[in-house]
Amino acid sequence: KQHYIQRRRRTKWTFARRHQTTWNKHQECSCRAVFERYKDLHVYQLEHPTQVLEWTSGNSVCVAGYSQSKNEILELRLPLKLLADENKSLCAERDFKVSHGGFTDGPVRCLTHIPGTRCAVTNDGLSSDLQVWDLGGEESDVIRRTGSIKGKRSASERGSRIAARPSSAPQVLHGAQISDVQLTELASGETLYKLETDSADPLSSLQFVSDTVFLAGCCNGSVYVADTRTSAPPQLSHSPSSAESVIWWTDAAAGPHPSSRRVIRVSSSGQAVVSDLRNLGGAGCQAQLDVQTPGRCSQVKVSWAPTLDDCISVSGFSGVVQIYNTRLWGAEPQEARPLFEHRGHAVSSQQTDDSVPTFVTSHIWHPERPRTLLSAASDGSVHVWDWVDPNRQGGSPTP
Amino acid sequence: MPEIKVTPLGAGQDVGRSCILVSIGGKNIMLDCGMHMGYNDDRRFPDFSYITQNGRLTDFLDCLIISHFHLDHCGALPYMSEMVGYDGPIYMTHPTKAICPILLEDFRKITVDKKGETNFFTSQMIKDCMKKVIPLNLHQTVQVDDELEIKAYYAGHVLGAAMVHIKVGSESVVYTGDYNMTPDRHLGAAWIDKCRPDILISESTYATTIRDSKRCRERDFLKKVHESIERGGKVLIPVFALGRAQELCILLETFWERMNLKAPIYFSTGLTEKANHYYKLFITWTNQKIRKTFVQRNMFEFKHIKAFDRSYADNPGPMVVFATPGMLHAGQSLQIFKKWAGNEKNMVIMPGYCVQGTIGHKILNGQRKLEMEGRATLDVKLQVEYMSFSAHADAKGIMQLIRMAEPRNMLLVHGEAVKMEFLKGKIEQEFSIDCYMPANGETTTVTTNPSVPVDISLNLLKREMALGGPLPDPKKPRTMHGTLIMKENVSFMLVSSEQALKELGLNEHQLRFTCHVQLQDPHSDADTLHRIYTHLKSVLKGYTIQHLPDGTVIVESIVIKVSSSAEDSNTKVLLLSWSYQVKTWTLFLEGLPMQSKPGSSPNHLVIESLF
Repeated sequence: KQHYIQRRRRTKWTFARRHQTTWNKHQECSCRAVFERYKDLHVYQLEHPTQVLEWTSGNSVCVAGYSQSKNEILELRLPLKLLADENKSLCAERDFKVSHGGFTDGPVRCLTHIPGTRCAVTNDGLSSDLQVWDLGGEESDVIRRTGSIKGKRSASERGSRIAARPSSAPQVLHGAQISDVQLTELASGETLYKLETDSADPLSSLQFVSDTVFLAGCCNGSVYVADTRTSAPPQLSHSPSSAESVIWWTDAAAGPHPSSRRVIRVSSSGQAVVSDLRNLGGAGCQAQLDVQTPGRCSQVKVSWAPTLDDCISVSGFSGVVQIYNTRLWGAEPQEARPLFEHRGHAVSSQQTDDSVPTFVTSHIWHPERPRTLLSAASDGSVHVWDWVDPNRQGGSPTP
Repeated sequence: MPEIKVTPLGAGQDVGRSCILVSIGGKNIMLDCGMHMGYNDDRRFPDFSYITQNGRLTDFLDCLIISHFHLDHCGALPYMSEMVGYDGPIYMTHPTKAICPILLEDFRKITVDKKGETNFFTSQMIKDCMKKVIPLNLHQTVQVDDELEIKAYYAGHVLGAAMVHIKVGSESVVYTGDYNMTPDRHLGAAWIDKCRPDILISESTYATTIRDSKRCRERDFLKKVHESIERGGKVLIPVFALGRAQELCILLETFWERMNLKAPIYFSTGLTEKANHYYKLFITWTNQKIRKTFVQRNMFEFKHIKAFDRSYADNPGPMVVFATPGMLHAGQSLQIFKKWAGNEKNMVIMPGYCVQGTIGHKILNGQRKLEMEGRATLDVKLQVEYMSFSAHADAKGIMQLIRMAEPRNMLLVHGEAVKMEFLKGKIEQEFSIDCYMPANGETTTVTTNPSVPVDISLNLLKREMALGGPLPDPKKPRTMHGTLIMKENVSFMLVSSEQALKELGLNEHQLRFTCHVQLQDPHSDADTLHRIYTHLKSVLKGYTIQHLPDGTVIVESIVIKVSSSAEDSNTKVLLLSWSYQVKTWTLFLEGLPMQSKPGSSPNHLVIESLF
């Protein structure tokens, strides 16, 4: 244990120094580097850090605190300047607007917005019960709790993952482990579907890839694909690695074209595996990601870019968000260099306690704007950034 | 009940102007007197009819306090003072007093000369109004009259901005004006001590925002300037003499130095003279860094920034120029603008709000063709950038300020109640205080609990403690008897009743009430009494019951005697006697309770004089 702590400290120092030098070098030698990495950059400081970032519309996100007792859920509207494409120069408004806010009794570890409604569902990471919220409308700026959904486990180490059904009446898929996954109708509380499996593997991700088909990623790396319309057993794809202490996170690209439906799995040791949704066990491509502190991470997030082909983003290993182009990856795992790194959270950390380095708790892509992301870190910072593809500097932007 | 009344003057939802009326301890104070920049008619002035339908305001207001020089806080001052009529004291900080007239005159010129308005205040009115001003120093208590005192605190935001603490007797109110909780390059952050006012009044316009970092705003500014310079363009930055000009100059200087840039930066001389003059006077109002710099050198003595000459505007190649005035409505900045507007490589960066009627306002609204004097049109081909550098407190800032001042109540003005419910809940939850949000024109009444300190005589204190029983328990308050003496309207003293009577030279009287209760009992008087005694002892546990040899039973302070009726020896008459302090008693006899009713007349009233 002693050794582990020592190693961490050294790693932190090296990391900080390496990145600080890079930052300063950029600042001192080239305007190009300072300005041309980002088209837009906004930096905010929340009163309390958030672990959740969830779109509630094209221009608003929800964040929520995760301290042990009382926390706030906030709905933030993006700054007008970011969204004003034609009249950007005449718009001076750079601030987030807190459009709605509410209070919770415990931490918020997972927050999912129900599409087409003003409703959100949260989980506190302590049990598998879910809380249901009304995000408020024009008449009130208060986010109110309207109900709850009982989960299978009254005590759970990681809590439940939640996924909202993309269309049709408000329904949520949720569960803390693979055998608990169920689909609940919000209005009635009725269970419409249950995943039939005996495995008790804890989940690290849960998402719909179409209106009825969903993907459940387990911490051990295995992935289940099932259809809520049938009671047939799910398709199982085993973990890419049998190493016990390794945790895996998954994301599926739900593109319109079947060929773009791919799944990426990233492990706590930095291994990344991409496979086709229709053939998860088959040959895809792999890489060893350039992550700073492999092994020490609990909130890794991996995400396919919604509009950029083959791009994925990874965060949670440190205070950096990395973007990779998977097209460059091959069948054999090789070290991959990120296409772009957002180092803002690490470099200008607002952390008061120096012994714990700032790490990114979550990040999301804007659903339409190709290169706009939001990222949040453990020091309460939230950044909104529109990055410039270094390979296309000076040229026209990728569609 | 003592109360403080707060009314934001104005109508409906309009938030462009600050003017708040406070009634505290019998005094009426007006906080700020702003002009609404969005209206062209009388709606831009505050609605003074709330105070009086017609006539001067002097008799209705004890004082007027202006927080800072922005027009939405002081723009209606000459109108109120000279056109409506007010001759009482007007308080503001020294920098505000120096800068206000300049801005008001500028504003007047634009409104009257450019827009051709007639019902507006004149230059003379501005001068007359400023004569009524009494300047304030920071942290210095000023007695407005015998009972009203005020004190100014540093608010950040702009040069000379203050938060004001108003006190009448033991009631107080703090008004924040506009303030900022994070220091910037030339101003510090707002600060106030734990003054615990009854009400903290704050603007809520920015209460539901989370501010983008200063670094990002600066990055954007530098990026735009750099882009223009790189393509050989010229950048015009119209500024007001004070405030942002300073900050932006420091920013550019640092950037030029670090990046080793060569393009020239100029500032117009009018700017230097005025700015230097004012900064020298108000050095205490800027932050530590500036103060240190200033001591060493001239405010505008930069390595890369030089004084501008008119002829430089025609020089080829890239350059950056800071010029006054800030809204492009006249003078040097307008001249330069006319020269550079036709070239799309050039850029104008507007760092602040522009009043309607100015060129600045027009181009910020996207106008690309301007009508100049003599029917000439100007094609605006250069890039127009609007950047906001103004420093305001956001949601976090408000919470920080409440933590600093510890008010008993919070009042937010200029917000729509529907959009502020969350913040109200947050404040109420975190600080356990009430949060009020009056609409414009609505009065909020806040009941205060002024604490009045009273001295207690040592004898009385000792006696009450000697009465025994457990130590004072907040859950079980015990009545204490004493007399409150107020001397000379100022000091209060609590003494024992005897001492008070002695001082007043009066005799003490005691009141006892009696009543008779008839019973049928064949026993002797003494036996009946004894039976009553035993009965009461068994029924009234926890009370002091004594059977005295003189033939009485005493329950606490109630005395019971038994005698036989004259007519029939089987009929006993109980005489019950109690002092006036006993409010009610219930007599339990043979299971049937018999109660005295408060206020019911006793059968027999006995007054005994003991002295």
